[in-house]
Amino acid sequence: MRLKFIPVIILFLFFYYSALAQVPKGFKPIFNGKNLKGWHISRTTHQGTTPNFHVENGYLIVKQQPYGQGGVLLTDKKYQNFELYLEAKIDSFSNGGIFIRSSESGIAYQIEFDESAGSTGNLYGERMPVSKVMQATERAKAWKANDWNSFRIRMVGEIPHITLWINGVQIWEVKQPKNDFTAGAVAGMIGLQSHWTALFSPTAGDWNGLNSWAPGAAHRFRNIAIKELDKNLKE
Amino acid sequence: MLKKLVVMLLLGYVWLPNISLMAQAEAVTNSFGMEFVLIKPGSMLVGKYQPTVGEYKPPVVRAGEQPQWVLPPKAYKVAAKMAQEAAKPGFTVTIKRPYYIGKFEVTQEQWQKVMGNNPAFFQGSRVKDDTGKHPVENITWQDAQTFIKKLNKLDKEHIYCLPNEFEWEYAARAGAEDDILWANARKMGIISEQITRAVGSKEPNAWGIYDMIGNVWEWVQDYYNDKIFADPVPPQSGKEHVLKGASFTGDAKNATYLTHAAGPGNGFDVGFRIVMEVR
Repeated sequence: MRLKFIPVIILFLFFYYSALAQVPKGFKPIFNGKNLKGWHISRTTHQGTTPNFHVENGYLIVKQQPYGQGGVLLTDKKYQNFELYLEAKIDSFSNGGIFIRSSESGIAYQIEFDESAGSTGNLYGERMPVSKVMQATERAKAWKANDWNSFRIRMVGEIPHITLWINGVQIWEVKQPKNDFTAGAVAGMIGLQSHWTALFSPTAGDWNGLNSWAPGAAHRFRNIAIKELDKNLKE
Repeated sequence: MLKKLVVMLLLGYVWLPNISLMAQAEAVTNSFGMEFVLIKPGSMLVGKYQPTVGEYKPPVVRAGEQPQWVLPPKAYKVAAKMAQEAAKPGFTVTIKRPYYIGKFEVTQEQWQKVMGNNPAFFQGSRVKDDTGKHPVENITWQDAQTFIKKLNKLDKEHIYCLPNEFEWEYAARAGAEDDILWANARKMGIISEQITRAVGSKEPNAWGIYDMIGNVWEWVQDYYNDKIFADPVPPQSGKEHVLKGASFTGDAKNATYLTHAAGPGNGFDVGFRIVMEVR
């Protein structure tokens, strides 16, 4: 009688583990699913210095904290040439994204997340002008709305050569004409952002930014992993 | 006779510092060319959080374009409630003693004179004008302390230290009770730029002090409390020290008196200014 359950258990375990998507071969996890070891909060980004980044059910959750103040979570380690893989599930009306080669205050190339603005997957600069901004015009081919989507970002070279795949589909590839970092950085941290929406006081100005982060909105991340590439790699 | 002498000495002890206080000059320049402004006692409200919400605006429809997505009006009601719950009344800080604060951030030229080196990232070919007039940066809190120690040895007339966070904020506010208007942050602060500028390039604040907002982050004496704003009493220990005023890479969002940030920062946009008293 009991033996009958064994195939059921095996089947359950099979589906359970295949449902938990795995990091691709050759990639090393940089988020352990339990806590934020290896990560820290930027205390100098204008987005906010006290964001709510925490781990829940194995996912890295990105929110504002207190109301109106976002922030940037950074890896402790700096990466030069690499491929980054992660899976993200993002709410509508929540502007954020993935920072690559970020400085401590969050000066970085950014893979934008903003479903309501339709700009998810675009390449922008955070606190710096980027020579070649990229639009994720092909994203619809691969995108799963209101669901988990995988991002793979390849970043190589002193003059950055950047490629983005979403759910395994190449969305764009760009070779910048120059290194856009003010301090000429060739390495930097991986960062995750939640956008600010509130000024400290109405005296500062009349700002209408609620569409950048709906009350209580969140980004969820899992399977964050990196494959470091040769420092001397040229493409 | 001896009694008289004791009384006279005591009187002198009580009266003399006050006399010297009354006689304090509004501005002082030390032998290294560093200019200081006298800050008089007073009080201010610190850490008041009144987060803004904004108002619902219907989507903009442009010919030939997808209509813009906007949050519904009810989201603004939820936000207003959250903003109200997050609001903080702040607390009053009284500055009891007058002090002198640097009219400018410590420059590379001044650092060079005192320390005999220049650690700044933005110098030489990276800067188009006179590097010496740009603020020194790429210094840790400990480096700032080393500079102050050296300066205290070299200058026999004055005593220097970093301002504490409240001394910094009081001088930055220059009497402003609430936050700084964005437009004024841009007039007074070097922000949303890609490198430092010579100190004093923008307008001074109401008390004649330059670049409290922008150019480089400024180290203050206090340890960081991991909170959005300071506590009435700073922590006795900690890993990082507080940074104030934002830098050239800052936005009007954080280039305000209130921003309570912390190290390590980028390095290339982190400097300091000092406070001084007459020996």
